[in-house]
Amino acid sequence: MLNLPRWQTIAIAAITLLSALFALPNLLPASVLQHLPQWYATSRINLGLDLRGGAHFLLEADLRSVLTERLTNLSDSVRAELRKQQVPFRDVTVEAGKNLVVTLRDEANRSKALEAIRAVDPALALSGSGDTIRVAYSAQELAKRKKEVIDQSIEILRRRVDETGTLEPTITRQGDERILLQVPGIKDTSDLKRKINQTAKLTFHLVNEDVAATGQNIPQTVPPTTFLVPTREGMLELRRTNPKAWEDIQSANPRLSPEQICRRYQPQCLPVLKRVVVGGEDLDDSKATFEQQAGGRPIISFTFNSAGGRAFCAATRANIGKRLAIQLDGEIISAPVVQSAICGGSGIITGSFTTQQTQEQSLLLRSGALPATLTIIQESTVGADLGADAIQAGTVAALVGTALVAIFMFVAYGPVFGGFANLAMLVNLLMVFAGMSILGASLTLPGIAGLVLTAGLAVDANVLIYERVREEKALGRSPFSALATGYEKAMSAIIDANLTTLIAGVLLFGFGSGPIRGFATTLTLGIITSMFSSTIFTRMLLAVWVRWRRPSELVI
Amino acid sequence: MWKPVRLFAFKRKFDFLGQRRPALIISTLINIVSIVGVLTIGLNFGIDFKGGIAIQAKAKDGTAELDQLRTIVGNLGVGEVSLQEFGDPSTVLIRVQRQEGDNQCVAGAQRVMQKTAGQGWQVKPGPAGTGDVEFTSPSALDAANWRDAVSRAGLTLQERQLPRGSTNTARIDMSVEQRAEWCQQVAIKLVEDAIGSNYELRGTESVGPKIGDELMRSGIWAVIATMVAIAIYVWVRFEWQFAVGALIAMLHDVISTIGIFVLFQLDFSLTALAAVLTIAGYSINDTVVIFDRVRENMRRYKKMPLLDLLNHSINETLSRTLMTSATVFVAVGALVLFGGPVLHSFSIAMLWGVIVGTYSSVWVACAGLVYLGLRPDQLRPADDKADQGDKAEKAEA
Repeated sequence: MLNLPRWQTIAIAAITLLSALFALPNLLPASVLQHLPQWYATSRINLGLDLRGGAHFLLEADLRSVLTERLTNLSDSVRAELRKQQVPFRDVTVEAGKNLVVTLRDEANRSKALEAIRAVDPALALSGSGDTIRVAYSAQELAKRKKEVIDQSIEILRRRVDETGTLEPTITRQGDERILLQVPGIKDTSDLKRKINQTAKLTFHLVNEDVAATGQNIPQTVPPTTFLVPTREGMLELRRTNPKAWEDIQSANPRLSPEQICRRYQPQCLPVLKRVVVGGEDLDDSKATFEQQAGGRPIISFTFNSAGGRAFCAATRANIGKRLAIQLDGEIISAPVVQSAICGGSGIITGSFTTQQTQEQSLLLRSGALPATLTIIQESTVGADLGADAIQAGTVAALVGTALVAIFMFVAYGPVFGGFANLAMLVNLLMVFAGMSILGASLTLPGIAGLVLTAGLAVDANVLIYERVREEKALGRSPFSALATGYEKAMSAIIDANLTTLIAGVLLFGFGSGPIRGFATTLTLGIITSMFSSTIFTRMLLAVWVRWRRPSELVI
Repeated sequence: MWKPVRLFAFKRKFDFLGQRRPALIISTLINIVSIVGVLTIGLNFGIDFKGGIAIQAKAKDGTAELDQLRTIVGNLGVGEVSLQEFGDPSTVLIRVQRQEGDNQCVAGAQRVMQKTAGQGWQVKPGPAGTGDVEFTSPSALDAANWRDAVSRAGLTLQERQLPRGSTNTARIDMSVEQRAEWCQQVAIKLVEDAIGSNYELRGTESVGPKIGDELMRSGIWAVIATMVAIAIYVWVRFEWQFAVGALIAMLHDVISTIGIFVLFQLDFSLTALAAVLTIAGYSINDTVVIFDRVRENMRRYKKMPLLDLLNHSINETLSRTLMTSATVFVAVGALVLFGGPVLHSFSIAMLWGVIVGTYSSVWVACAGLVYLGLRPDQLRPADDKADQGDKAEKAEA
């Protein structure tokens, strides 16, 4: 048992050193870190928002109202199609959040009506009997829509929160209809909260080519039918070159109109006709795809509902060769030239785009289509000094806790065995740090509590072993044999004891949220790594020690 | 160099299970009192489970005037409010009950609008039965400014909700539940505005009704799932009597810990739940070590009466039991003393858990084995094989 092959000793030492290496950047002061390679110096444990200070919002998207809105659009299309196919119907009504109900004048027309509705969208789920037809989106379609709405909301949020420029928000999807927004280091959240409540606004306008033809970026006067709108590139450029102006625009109250921004700060602008050709609420979908023919270039496709399709058809037919500006939140995200009349309700935007660009553009388009209302359902804001207090308290508690445990072990098992156990506790903590650095886990205040608890629990394996060694020694075994059997016989109790605590830790991780996950993480990691440090690692130390000292009696 | 001190070694062997009847009575009493306490007095649920708002504020000049604050916040129309000193005399924890989305909240929203968007704004509840809210602006506004204004009250104005025709009123349609969630935000704004000039806001927590209910449900499931999973593990590794004994001991510890939360009216929050689950794990940890020894001794001393065998096993593992309890106790003790107010209820509960977990391993889990009629000759064949291996190893030694 104590005769370890050389390769095992080397492997154990290597694992220990490696964890120490991974844990080290967390313990070194900034002055030392500066001189280390960046990839190494930056692989540190993230501090949770409760320690770092910052805001955490759980947002819920109102999918029901988005669905109702879509159904309302769908009802227009269904009505139009039924009329076109000359199916007499009494009414088409929307049942909020669920489906459409089509009531026919005559049951006999049912199959013809079904055909007409399928013509609108073949993926619709149709049910009902007699003169009523229930029209709903299929479960598959609903799931897809849900995902799209959340993607769209995340994109809107990212744009909004990023506007301030100084924040580093993390925005993640949580389950089916929720979004987690975390913003470290933010002091005043009232601005942020307002941004959450501003949805994107998308409109299509024709460019006033007569004004544009003058070649001036900002013409002195424009006709009353026209106004100036900055382009997205122009605004990005302004933000790069003149951050002060950018900030002024963001903080202006009341908000500046696009025209005022153009006049005052002179970014690249386009003169567009005020009349809205079609609005974002009529846009059904937008995707990044590729041209049909071989070697197809990346393009953006979009689909309108029937009202939007009609308006779009009329506008494009009359304005071939002119540009159509797509305005999102007072910025023109794109102004493609109308190549031909777009009448089928769907069209494409071509150009020399990269795949990345088409994806970005289609997401921008989608983010203007029927945005969902986001409700804050959970909030946690921690000021920086509250976080600093928590760090302080956690550090003191952790240091005192581990020191007390170490003293206990020293007193109970003497300098050698106590020392080995304490070394194991240290290695265990290093391994937890290393594990968290590798996993990219966050350290929270409950996480520190988990560490302290782990320190107390992890020495249990050594206590079990040492007590067993004492018993075996009392039975008159030689030092070597007492140690070997002590380890062997304590093993089953160690495994049982650790696995049961591990079960609690893993379930806690599964059910817990936020800071509690931090507790579960350190506790679970600590128990797993303690199986190595308290048994395998100390066994190696003892094996080396026994061979070196060859004790005639164990002082334990 | 110093010699090891045998901290918990006793020459005498104790007859632990001779005291199993008084222990049974004490344990039963503690548990009954805990359950009765939960049912009558009730747990002091934190906002994690109950929903509500907790704002930590620090007085800009020295001490927090609790009475004054109580009046100010109490008059905001945000429902029940409780205040307590938090950590030191300058810091106060303001708790506001979970918002139900009543008309008082809409009136509060009007105050928020008048303060942030302009005096003339009016906010009114929509038709009864819906959660709708109507905003009326003092003058005609364009769409962008409408959206901007309404966002100040924490709501989103959609395109379709813009005022139609010549009116200046926009109706935001929502469900009653949504309005309750929004009212949480209104209440936060009202409190923050009311105290913001004299107090520095250190942290805000808000849990809406929906999340509160969800956390409560998943918390109950977490406790049940943990106990079942641990019991199954013990059942797989040991005889069924061990699993039942361990499960009873774990229940005993969990229930009495909850009793401690009732007794001291500690804040039962998510961290408290984490403490309860950890105590379940710790309780079993302690029990399993003794059970492990019991099983070992059952193979070795097949003729020994059960009571003697259990007592013998408990005595053999006693120094380990006390030593481990002591190390965990000092570690958790450090958390109680230095961990700060946030971890306070967690660490107190853990401290209790260590004590009761140690007690229950002996007097609940092992005593349970007696009552459950475990017989020393009752080992499964698989265990017997392991036993033979054990013997072979002994012969070699």
